[in-house]
Amino acid sequence: MSSAAALAHGSGASSIAPIFQAEGVVKKFGGINAVNEATMQVADGSITALIGPNGAGKTTFFNVITGFYRADGGTATFEGRRVLGRPPYLIARMGMVRTFQITKALARMSVLDNMLLAAPHQPGESLSGVLLRPGASRRREREVASKAEELLEVFNLTKLTDQYAGTLSGGQRKLLELSRALMAEPRFLLLDEPMAGINPTLGRRLLDHMQRLRSEDGVTFLFIEHDMEVVMNHSDRVVVMAQGTVIADGEPHEIRSDQKVIDAYLGGGSPDDGAESSSAATPRSHGEGGRVTERPR
Amino acid sequence: MEPATLLPLGVSFDAFASLGFWLGVGVIAGTFTIFALGLQLNVGFTGIFNFGQAGFMAIGAYSMAILVTEEGVNFWLSLPIAIAITMVFGLIVGLPSLRLRTDYLAIATLAASEAIRLTTLNARELTNGSQGIFGFDTEFDDLSESIESLLISVGWSDPETLFPLFMIVWIVALLLTFGLWRLQKTPWGRVLRALREDEDAARALGKNAFAYKLQSLVMASALGAIAGFFLALNLKFVVPDEFLPNFTFIGFAILILGGLANYWGVAVGAIIFQTIFEGLRFLELPITEVQVSALRYILLGLVLIGLMAFRPQGLFGKREEMVLGE
Repeated sequence: MSSAAALAHGSGASSIAPIFQAEGVVKKFGGINAVNEATMQVADGSITALIGPNGAGKTTFFNVITGFYRADGGTATFEGRRVLGRPPYLIARMGMVRTFQITKALARMSVLDNMLLAAPHQPGESLSGVLLRPGASRRREREVASKAEELLEVFNLTKLTDQYAGTLSGGQRKLLELSRALMAEPRFLLLDEPMAGINPTLGRRLLDHMQRLRSEDGVTFLFIEHDMEVVMNHSDRVVVMAQGTVIADGEPHEIRSDQKVIDAYLGGGSPDDGAESSSAATPRSHGEGGRVTERPR
Repeated sequence: MEPATLLPLGVSFDAFASLGFWLGVGVIAGTFTIFALGLQLNVGFTGIFNFGQAGFMAIGAYSMAILVTEEGVNFWLSLPIAIAITMVFGLIVGLPSLRLRTDYLAIATLAASEAIRLTTLNARELTNGSQGIFGFDTEFDDLSESIESLLISVGWSDPETLFPLFMIVWIVALLLTFGLWRLQKTPWGRVLRALREDEDAARALGKNAFAYKLQSLVMASALGAIAGFFLALNLKFVVPDEFLPNFTFIGFAILILGGLANYWGVAVGAIIFQTIFEGLRFLELPITEVQVSALRYILLGLVLIGLMAFRPQGLFGKREEMVLGE
């Protein structure tokens, strides 16, 4: 099988224990296999990029492994525990937290409330906690608020703290969604095009923050990205998907010269995927337009 | 009756000067407040479109009436039992339907409400069909009378018989409003609002969306049951016709009037609604009384249309929330 071969071909990955493993994951929509026996692993503490042409099944794969879509086959484990078949909220509580390609700011809630919501272990989120442990609830709320302020500071959102999230610009929403995901205390963070719509300076800061989270807190990242400059310079490993399956997996420099990858994505591109086929080694990152195939339901 | 003041339209304002009128309006407005608090919890704060609130009200009122008249349960004891029964029904309605998309949920809850009403109409052995049930409120009347004699003893020579009910319904309505308002400010309330904004985002952050929606619906059903008690005590009987979906629709009208996502607006919306609705009865037009009562609904519709056009956030809703919600 080609994906298995690709895995074997990738060097080094096997030496570090994987935090996440997927094997033969299948997702069908009608007669189409949007994800077709995708197999990959993500090394603990790595920053792994997931790339591939539009319609390759990257976002669908995200939706399957985070429980938003029911898988039609395969297995996936996070820290050795099964994830397929679990509902999204339980997967998130395990420490595997995702963001969305199309940002989901909670529009009629303040930026601060968006952040506070994400914090786990809040006794006041259950009715029994509200009634029986109001003190613990308030304590947790204070704890979490200071963490939220720190994160908002990092992403330049401090002055928007009390604004409705719905008033934020697209880029600000993207940053809010990322910092909100960080509030959920993830050990494995799955980001669906985190850089799209963010200005280069903040994008830079976001990448720096990812590096810091990885080195200081040991957070592992898997991110979908189209900007090849970002992928090549800021990830340790690159997984390439095309037509629902993983066609290559390796270090950035290996991927750059992989003939299969050049054929499917970096170079020619498939005939039905004109947007991606224009430039050779660095397909430009592009806006939200034209990506209707991977929208979650 | 000779009206004291006659406007060109022919409205007599005599009735507005009588305490009896305001107590009548007040009792119903208080009942509507409790009823619509449940809708506010569901629609305004959780984003679930519960169109079956009248059905929950029916379960509450009928459970109480049947427990008292058929099973000989003490009236006061029947209330918590009836609330519990209604909450079980809320659970039964919610379990299969809360996974549905918003619009389908509305249809499913509306259907459940009608199924309940038609059952009360047809399960005659249990509910006495369209004849309804009487005689469940002797214990309440005793309390009412002792409140009246208390009022006499403090110097009100001839207290209105409706006053004790009026007093109790508003104490309960305001306590519930206060409780829900406080609850909304807790982290629990924040999760509900997050579900209203984007369920998937909340799930991705580890929130069990279904469990919260179920809690919201079950709590609303309990509020429906309490409203049902007051409806029954005011009418002194329960009949299936009182639980038509119209009641739910009026609840929604009150919600829009008072403003979405504001618990205090509910009471104000209910009072304004009921005042207009009752007041319109005194329109003196060269048409029959039946036509006047139909005209009330037409005018109410116009008020709602005007509100949607010029103040879609209602009286107490926030305009910016309305805009951001679109």
